Amino acid sequence: MLAIEMSSTPAVISGCSGQNLSAGDFIDQQMRELSIHLQKSNILGFGARGVFWELEKTFNECGVDGWDGEKAKAITREVLWNAQIFLESFPWGSESPEIGAEPDGAISLEWYRSPSRVVSVSINPRGGVYYAAIIGAKRRHGMDPVSFFVSYDLLDLIGEVTGEVL
Amino acid sequence: MTDFVLPDELLARYITSSKWYRRADQTVKQDAFIPPEIPLELSTTRHLSLFENEIWGIGNKIVSGQPNRKLHGRADVRVSHVTSQLLSVVADPTADNPNHANIRGWPLSKDARKLLALEIARNARFVANPNP
Repeated sequence: MLAIEMSSTPAVISGCSGQNLSAGDFIDQQMRELSIHLQKSNILGFGARGVFWELEKTFNECGVDGWDGEKAKAITREVLWNAQIFLESFPWGSESPEIGAEPDGAISLEWYRSPSRVVSVSINPRGGVYYAAIIGAKRRHGMDPVSFFVSYDLLDLIGEVTGEVL
Repeated sequence: MTDFVLPDELLARYITSSKWYRRADQTVKQDAFIPPEIPLELSTTRHLSLFENEIWGIGNKIVSGQPNRKLHGRADVRVSHVTSQLLSVVADPTADNPNHANIRGWPLSKDARKLLALEIARNARFVANPNP
């Protein structure tokens, strides 16, 4: 149930969880929740394209130490969850990444056009999102400390590789 | 066999995960060249004077006894493409693999390692396992 208080000051809305939000924050929150819902949707989002299923499959294949036949570290359930939350934060309609596994226990997400036009993102065991990209002669790499939301900077980089505006 | 690894030698990185190469264009993903963290070094095999069947034999040994794991192929890369990334290739013979070598000198930050792995993967050639 929503309560909207109108006055000369900006409207304050009490959300379902009881917190008071400005109208702008409330709309932002609702849009974000809607986006996550659509992204998970089996009809419309990454869910429809099997991305979350592929994440689970990767976790099942690489969930024990030595999964590569050598010294690879297991992908933990925490890394799987972080990857799910990270992907749910993408704008609806984004191009799906290829899901991969790295020997240091990270899940990788790749957007690829050619070996000279590629961006790879790692969801790491100790948190944080690490990325690197080759786009023609340009090289980029960096880290986002927050792993539950994709940054605009990273979306721009992915867009440069895929040729999409995200 | 020499312990000194020459720049024009070929190294094989065994592809033991279907997620380490792209089926569509038979190219290698950076994932195959990300080193485990402890120790921070990447295991490879020097071709040297090995015959093809001997190179595959070493790879098959790696996956043998591992349920659900198979040898999809190998990524061949020239040593000079590794050392040009300011990494070193050090011979590390083992009882099972006298041609074993490690790629060392990886930067501490993961994002920098990913960029080097992308560069190496870009120069690697995927060779499919003839007997998968």
